Amino acid sequence: MVGRSGCGKSTLLRCIGGLIAPTTGSIKISGQIVTEPHPQIGYVFQQPVLLPWRTVEANVSLPFEVKGKPTKEEKNKVKKVLEIVGLSDYAKHRPGELSGGMQQRVSVSRSLVTEPSILLMDEPFGALDAQTREDMNVELLRIWEVAKTTIVFVTHDIGEALFLSDRVVIMSARPGKIDDIIEVNSPRPRSFDQVENDPEFWKMRQRIRKALH
Amino acid sequence: MTNDRRLLKSKIKSPKNPFSNFESQKILGQFLVIVTPFLFILIWHLIAAGTTPLILPGPKDVFMRLFSYFVSGRVWPHLFMTTQEILAGFVLGSVLGLGFGTLISESVIARKVIMPYIIVTQALPKFALAPMLVIWFGFGMAPKVIIAALIAFFPLVENTYMGLTTTPGSQLELFRALRASRITTLLKLRVPHAIPAIFSGFRVALMLSLVGAVVAEYVGANQGLGALIIVSQGTLDTELMFVSFVVLTVLGLSLDWLYGLVYKAVLVKLYGKSISNISSSTSRLSV
Repeated sequence: MVGRSGCGKSTLLRCIGGLIAPTTGSIKISGQIVTEPHPQIGYVFQQPVLLPWRTVEANVSLPFEVKGKPTKEEKNKVKKVLEIVGLSDYAKHRPGELSGGMQQRVSVSRSLVTEPSILLMDEPFGALDAQTREDMNVELLRIWEVAKTTIVFVTHDIGEALFLSDRVVIMSARPGKIDDIIEVNSPRPRSFDQVENDPEFWKMRQRIRKALH
Repeated sequence: MTNDRRLLKSKIKSPKNPFSNFESQKILGQFLVIVTPFLFILIWHLIAAGTTPLILPGPKDVFMRLFSYFVSGRVWPHLFMTTQEILAGFVLGSVLGLGFGTLISESVIARKVIMPYIIVTQALPKFALAPMLVIWFGFGMAPKVIIAALIAFFPLVENTYMGLTTTPGSQLELFRALRASRITTLLKLRVPHAIPAIFSGFRVALMLSLVGAVVAEYVGANQGLGALIIVSQGTLDTELMFVSFVVLTVLGLSLDWLYGLVYKAVLVKLYGKSISNISSSTSRLSV
């Protein structure tokens, strides 16, 4: 989902996540109306939202711990997901000792560890510098290739949207509505170079830019 | 390239070591920490020399008396009694404070009903209650513990409430997204977040318990450092009064130091070793 800031991207995502109720209409996940956070949904916020008193490992196992003591299998899942995002060496560190990019990776692992069928990501890499952001995008796709989770990803960066998505939804403000949906059929893996220079992407980029104005 | 670098070098005329200023400040600070008490004693000595021992006994006389008081063992029952009262009052006040603080942070109704009474207990001059408590409970420990608990309790109510209700909204939202129950959110999020606030409440409460216990002893006690002060007033024994002051001061400092140790241990347990800089800034007296 792309759109200018304030157009309601995050609000829509929070509705899907069951964190707030829509004023009108309803949201259904596999036929079921969403009234509270769905157990099969994982959420990645704009900020990492880590608990500073917990180690990286303990932060990632939080989704299990709120339901009781983590089982052995769940502990293994935590280890595995930290391996996937490349943070195994930092398992015992506190979030305060990590860089912004690493913190956001912890945040992503925390939502992946429960193996959700839908992952909602609200500008998760917005606060990172351009290079880290590209790295994170590449990494996200790598994880997605393995997990095959449905991801709803909010951003205001057109390049990021085109690089990641199968489908780009364009929103506009006041009233918040969906203007256009663009299918990105370009085969994977894609590169950022391709997204920036390929004429096919160039066309899509123009279309999105026009829709946003 | 080399030109650029030369330009850069000439532009930045920094002192040899940017931290040298900081270092000398640190040394000055340590120097002052050591020197100030001696300076204080010297001034005390000079003023005392110009007055009679009845008004202001000199530091030497006071410390001699203090020494003999410890050697003869006469100080111990008083010190022991007052310490017991402080600790009992502190524990009682803290438990009540934590309980009420948690209650009013969990329920709006409880807050509306209970808060006025909490304010009343604080608005009421507690020391004015002391004579009545002596009538009810006699000259033993009980009235002192109650007074100490009554004043120790308020900072804990306040800090517990403040700590538990200032959890960042983003973290609360995370717990909601994780479908955490109310009790889990309290135990795994709001309480750990409130720990620093609660601990600064403990610190104030501990010092206030000391004040409460001593002042309550003024009203009626057979034993305790406060009772000792009243006795020395009755016999015009200013020296003994100063001995009591010194013992009380050292007791207060020791309690605060102990507090600092516990707080630091808790912070290390929560945040790991890298937190040492935070703990030293929050417990200034116990370096």
